[in-house]
Amino acid sequence: MISKLGMLGGSLALFGWCASAAGQAPNLTKEEMADAVRTDDFSIPTPGELMVALNKQGKLDWAAKFRPPIATNYPSRAQLALNLGSLVADGFIAVEAEDSQQVKNLGKDILALAKNLSVPKDILMRGSSITDFAERKQWDQLKEELEATQNEVKESMHDNKDGDLVTLVTAGGWARAVEVISSHIAQNYSEASAKILRQPAIVSYLNKRLDALPDKVRDDPKVKNLRMKMILMEVLVSFPRDQAPSAADVKKLSGYASEIVKDIAKKDQK
Amino acid sequence: MKHPLLALLLAASASLAPVQAVTDAEVDARRIALDLAGAFANDGFKLRDGVWQGTLELGKPKLVQVNLYSGNEYWFSLGATGKVKKVAVSVFDELGKVIDSEPYQEGATAAAGFSPAASGPYYVRIELVEGEAAAFCLVYSYK
Repeated sequence: MISKLGMLGGSLALFGWCASAAGQAPNLTKEEMADAVRTDDFSIPTPGELMVALNKQGKLDWAAKFRPPIATNYPSRAQLALNLGSLVADGFIAVEAEDSQQVKNLGKDILALAKNLSVPKDILMRGSSITDFAERKQWDQLKEELEATQNEVKESMHDNKDGDLVTLVTAGGWARAVEVISSHIAQNYSEASAKILRQPAIVSYLNKRLDALPDKVRDDPKVKNLRMKMILMEVLVSFPRDQAPSAADVKKLSGYASEIVKDIAKKDQK
Repeated sequence: MKHPLLALLLAASASLAPVQAVTDAEVDARRIALDLAGAFANDGFKLRDGVWQGTLELGKPKLVQVNLYSGNEYWFSLGATGKVKKVAVSVFDELGKVIDSEPYQEGATAAAGFSPAASGPYYVRIELVEGEAAAFCLVYSYK
């Protein structure tokens, strides 16, 4: 893989390569690693990154991973935020499937949910650029646009004193991506593909953020269920670096993720 | 090819500047980092929208955790502004061991590219090697 990266030398020759100090850099201490910065929009990968990794294991029928449309209005802001994240993950699936109409439908739903979270109009205008990119089948640009939309919605949540909901958007997206990927791996098990699922720091980070939510948000039934399942999932994605999870564990992971996604999309009867 | 989108991102960051307290120097640093990352886009690398930015000082390296997937290839691109003469980017695994990455360094820009052997957490360290304190922006691309 590194040799493949070396091919980029051609495109960067103009800038000038040089021997790096990286090779001589001292190892990090435990304290340095503990103090490292962690942020939602840099430390947590997009669903698209997980999907690209899975694509390397063989051709996938991404269109088969679509789910029926979900509601865009829910009684609690926490549930709206969770579903917003899961819809963005659906957007990445539609981009992988290269299905323009599905991307446009999801873009519309994402913005409808965002509107219900009182996201300002100027951010909602992004909906038209998602549609434009989808019509022009600019898939790479669409991935950036989906993430940019999500990041701007999160930013507006901070501005609206809804910063606590940001973690829920991230968690909802992560759960939907893990549901799709782990269910595919469970059905087509190989050690190589199962190793992709190793992501202990992501779940640990999200669980800490969920634990730090205000009581009002943490007591939301959907958030309660999410936290319970995420604790179980943390164990399943924390296997050693040189090992793969068993097919049974991948199936369990898929089951928990699926239960989260179904629960957050469900409108409970009052 | 990505310029319209990059322009949109820059415009968006500029329009959000008062709210996010993003300084003009940070906007410049972002432009520099995105320009560098643009070179990798030609090789099929997709740019993430998220950035990490702030101020870099001599003798005070900064560290950010990222979570990467085995099988993917990554480039971390750093841009800095002001009187920066040299910056560096290095990558470490979850045990804190330095990773042998493809290096790039040119004045106020630097990048590191590698393909992780295992999925999981990694650390990216950025460092001002020579020059005065300045705004920085780190972005990453994957394929």
